Amino acid sequence: MSRLAALALSATILAAPLAAQDSQLVRMRARADSLLRSWREAALLADVADSLERVRATAGADTITVGGLRIIANRSPLPLRQAAERAWPIVDSLYGSAALELLNRPWIIRAVDPDTAVPRTVLHEGLEIPWDLDLNQTTTMLLSTVGAPRLDQRLLDWLSAVPRPAWNEEQGARNVYVQLVTAPSEAVRRCFLDEISRCRDVLQLDDSADLLSRWYITPAEREALVTGAFGDYFARPATAPTLQRCREHDDDACVRLLRALPTLPPPLFHGPRMLLLREALRAGGRDAYSRLVADPSAPIGARLASAAAIPLDSLVARWRARALAARPASLVVPWWAGVFAMVWTAIFALCASRSSRWRL
Amino acid sequence: MTGKFRAVLYTQWKWSRLVIVLGTIAALAIPVISIQGAARADRGALEAQELLRAVQSWGTLYPLLATALGLLVAVAAWAADHRGRHIHALTLPLPRWQYVLLRFGAGMLLLSFPIIAVLLGATLAALSATLPPGLHAYPIALAVRFAFAVVVAFAVFFAVSSGTARTAGIILGVIAAVILAQVIVSMTGIDFDLFGQLQVLLLAGPGPLAVFTGRWMLVDV
Repeated sequence: MSRLAALALSATILAAPLAAQDSQLVRMRARADSLLRSWREAALLADVADSLERVRATAGADTITVGGLRIIANRSPLPLRQAAERAWPIVDSLYGSAALELLNRPWIIRAVDPDTAVPRTVLHEGLEIPWDLDLNQTTTMLLSTVGAPRLDQRLLDWLSAVPRPAWNEEQGARNVYVQLVTAPSEAVRRCFLDEISRCRDVLQLDDSADLLSRWYITPAEREALVTGAFGDYFARPATAPTLQRCREHDDDACVRLLRALPTLPPPLFHGPRMLLLREALRAGGRDAYSRLVADPSAPIGARLASAAAIPLDSLVARWRARALAARPASLVVPWWAGVFAMVWTAIFALCASRSSRWRL
Repeated sequence: MTGKFRAVLYTQWKWSRLVIVLGTIAALAIPVISIQGAARADRGALEAQELLRAVQSWGTLYPLLATALGLLVAVAAWAADHRGRHIHALTLPLPRWQYVLLRFGAGMLLLSFPIIAVLLGATLAALSATLPPGLHAYPIALAVRFAFAVVVAFAVFFAVSSGTARTAGIILGVIAAVILAQVIVSMTGIDFDLFGQLQVLLLAGPGPLAVFTGRWMLVDV
């Protein structure tokens, strides 16, 4: 009997904390639910505020639609329609069939007088642009602010920039050529010398395993990277001794430091990746962009190959050929510069010969 | 005429030989020194940037050398005449314009030595260097640019040197007027950059000093 009583007592004692734990769980759940409700209400209010702001920003404005570009703007001398007419073919050539989705994301533009100091209401929606921009500047503005349709974070991370149409694509390709020749990386140099696998490495098209040894092949490159770009970063007390060893050509120390970096800097900037993307879209036709963004979970290389509708190696070879074809013009003196130099020389010689001989 | 030219050439050589000899040595040495070390066969990917940086740094010396040569040879061409108050020139049995052209031609001929030296030095440097893939040497383009710069610099300073003190005063007066105008424009708050406009006129496109701008690179992509 006493054993039974002891068991009952034990059960009661053990159940008490369990009951308390259970009620705490209920309280926490209620709190979470309350927070969720508050968050939803806040989001709803933010949407309403955005909507009201949008209504305020677009009140009394005209809508200009050219192809898939829609611009809501106040009346001004800004040549928006002409600029949109110039921008649309360039936008369409990049995004293809997906470009029409831009209709759902109109620009809200408020053209303002650049010469007035009169204070105006602050808008939190859209762009505020001086209305004295010329056609070229307005077109450039449209091209540099267009938002890529259905852009996912993975693509954005790989590209380090929003894929936008290029006003001067040839200049971009030239910059890629210069990077291929001057990047302080043996991997990039081998890519330049037609080693396609190295190009895939430096463009980070395959898996991201051991990027350090694939991007910076030689110990000298690793040492230069640590002591150059990250010399100040690693000069803290915790890493200073390792930095010193790296400076003394200890490759292990350099590797240790580089592996400690949150992100390893790629040997090529974002220009080459952008050029590769453009080549993929050009090769793949009008539906290329739609294929590119169709599966955000797929590896970047596979997405680019799918967009281009050709094998990845062929795409990379095409990219390399494009960059090499854009080699900057040789450093020759233009013929007209020579002509002008001679003309000016003759003019100065004539001035000298015409001066007075009487100079007392 | 050849005899007269030879006489003028001889006197100008005597007056400016030190400048010409030193300028020729410098013109020969700069391209060679600018890519010193580039001849190594084990040049890695790291050195491409360093090489371009070095070549770019040394590249600033070419327009300076061209200007210095043009200035010193032009001044030397007229220094004796200025000292002698141009009496000797007035006694010569030839019109002034011919005399000026003889001096001009002689100066040009003397300046061809440093120009040829740049061509030789740049060619030697280019041949001796093992450049990283993708980089190219431009010895002829560099020498042509240098030649134009030397010729223009010489012509400008020759014209100024040949003028009277009044001409020099006018030139200085114009410069002072431009500075004064810019100061007044700035004080009145008018948004007009006179110096910038003049710079464009002189250095851009068909401007007389346009040949001095641009890339003075012996090695580039």
